[in-house]
Amino acid sequence: MIAAAIWKDIQLLLRDRGTLISLFVLPIVFILAFGAMFSGGGTSPDVARPIAIWHPSASPPGDAVERALAATPGFTPQPLASAEAVRAAVAAGAVDAGLVIAADTDPARGHPVELAIDLAAPIQARAPLTGALTAVVTRALGAPAGPELVYLEARQPPGIRKPLPDISGFQITVPGNAVLFGFYIALTVAMSFAGERRTGTWRRLLAAPVPRWKVMLATLVPYYVIGLVQLTFLFGLGAGVFGMRVAGSIPALAVLSMCVVACAVSLGLLFASLGGTEKQLGSIGSVILLVMGLLGGCMVPRLLMPETMRSIGHIVPHSWALDGYYDLLVREGTGLADIAPSVGALAGFAALFALIGLRRFRFET
Amino acid sequence: MITPALQLRALAKTYGERTAVAGVDLDVAPGEILGLLGPNGAGKTTTISMACGVVTPTRGEVMIGGLSLARDPYGAKRRLGLVPQELALYEELSARANLAYFGALYGMSAAAIATRGDWVLGVVGLADRDREPVKRFSGGMKRRLNLACGLLHEPALLVLDEPTVGVDPQSRNHIFETVRALRTAGMTIVYTTHYMEEVEALCDRVAIMDAGKLIALGTVRELIAQHAGRGLAIEIAGDAAAAQVAAAAHADVRRDGTTLHATPHTGLGALVTAIEATGATITRIESRQATLEAAFLALTGHALRDDDAPAPPAPKGATP
Repeated sequence: MIAAAIWKDIQLLLRDRGTLISLFVLPIVFILAFGAMFSGGGTSPDVARPIAIWHPSASPPGDAVERALAATPGFTPQPLASAEAVRAAVAAGAVDAGLVIAADTDPARGHPVELAIDLAAPIQARAPLTGALTAVVTRALGAPAGPELVYLEARQPPGIRKPLPDISGFQITVPGNAVLFGFYIALTVAMSFAGERRTGTWRRLLAAPVPRWKVMLATLVPYYVIGLVQLTFLFGLGAGVFGMRVAGSIPALAVLSMCVVACAVSLGLLFASLGGTEKQLGSIGSVILLVMGLLGGCMVPRLLMPETMRSIGHIVPHSWALDGYYDLLVREGTGLADIAPSVGALAGFAALFALIGLRRFRFET
Repeated sequence: MITPALQLRALAKTYGERTAVAGVDLDVAPGEILGLLGPNGAGKTTTISMACGVVTPTRGEVMIGGLSLARDPYGAKRRLGLVPQELALYEELSARANLAYFGALYGMSAAAIATRGDWVLGVVGLADRDREPVKRFSGGMKRRLNLACGLLHEPALLVLDEPTVGVDPQSRNHIFETVRALRTAGMTIVYTTHYMEEVEALCDRVAIMDAGKLIALGTVRELIAQHAGRGLAIEIAGDAAAAQVAAAAHADVRRDGTTLHATPHTGLGALVTAIEATGATITRIESRQATLEAAFLALTGHALRDDDAPAPPAPKGATP
């Protein structure tokens, strides 16, 4: 019966141009548009942020850099007890960057200040920060004696996986749009329930010798399959046409995608349980999904957002999905264990949506 | 003793404070066509929805072919085919694809669906259009396919909910012929409709519902004899209490606006005298036909169709 339902819904989908366009064509348009935007570089966020710093006590260059940092608008020095503590704070995401001014720091002798920063972070977020801190350090340690002098050397702190070299904008826009439009399957699910009720096929289903849980599954499972096909298509297109690469584990990517689709389908059940006509669901649901996508960083990476917005982003599953995809696509060697928080959060969202949806859903109207 | 094809026992449904169906008892014999009549909101659709397992009763019991819908829902539902009032079809799919999906719901094999599909499509006259998307069908063709989907799994009991709404005369007649053929083949049919003519033409017995209750049950002839009779429709100007006129004239009198519906037992003269004695003036007297419509009016106090929709053309074989 489930197979028959899948076949029926695939046939319906293939005849529904509007849904096909929103599921498969619109994402490509967005991928191209946002990809082009990111290829041209980004803008620096104008936000104050703490910068971890360590230097030996009574170190003239260290004191000079710390003073210069404190005097620079937008930065707050956060002195830590050791160089390792600075690197660990960056690796843990407690700060965006850290400065390590060792005892032998002397750019003129080839010993620059160490900038601990996540080299896998999007260039749009990393470059302005690196540039601003280079200016601070250069000013603190004196005027440059020559263009060959390196005052600041960016290094990946231990605990963060290394990024792929030459990350393209599509590493960000493909997952961003895949998640944004992947969640639109929620709308299709909700409208499917509304359509079945409107046309009377729902009554036929309820009159058939089939348990109601099976009726529910027969409606949801086809869209789960379609959602997986959609994500496979988009990531396949990203890899095959746009040069997107997967730095981490492919099985982990599959697991994450399955969680994303489960979450989206559960959200669809929740939408359906709220009732309403197909038109109401279409208009209200699409706005909700767009806002969720925006908060979750599907259109603009959350790293470019102010800190508050970054935190708010965690209330939507999109942000967890994107965090997982970003690690898998950008950081070399990323496996299932590395994206466990994303997988766990998405599974939690899926369970929550399904629970509320099932409690509220009314088979009989 | 023959097991009824459908038994409803004290079947009731309430939604909060509102009672949609207030304890219906009904037996439908195997092989009969039972018409279910009632105005909008009478509880017909809720009753058949409960009979089909679409809506859970608040209380009471449904038995289909002797199987309890509550205790053996899947066994009971296998014996029943529902043709909903809506065109319950996937319009983007072909007639065959619709049948394939609905057949699968009943656990039918692909081969059985194909074989049985040939038969039902032939019965409803759509065999030559079976690969076309349903959206290209006329309203009447969709109605016929709606019927075919309910017949596919060979149910012993077929429930037709307003099966001829919005169809052309040709399709209506086709549906009637199909229903008659099914009855001849031994199928039991419950037929709800707004159209009195359809009930008179097709049904062995009629159940009339009003305000959630079953208020009359019998053959068309019995209902007419018991509740319609021959009578008079008397238009009056002025005020005349029906009870006062009835007592004075020894007649059955019921008032409906400016019309008195009366069945005199002692002659027209006494009735006229009684009306004029109330001070009212008679403006018109009309002999009333003994019809199911009249019986329905007598039972419910209002006409069956409460909209302005024209009556359908009389079906072939309808009683004039």
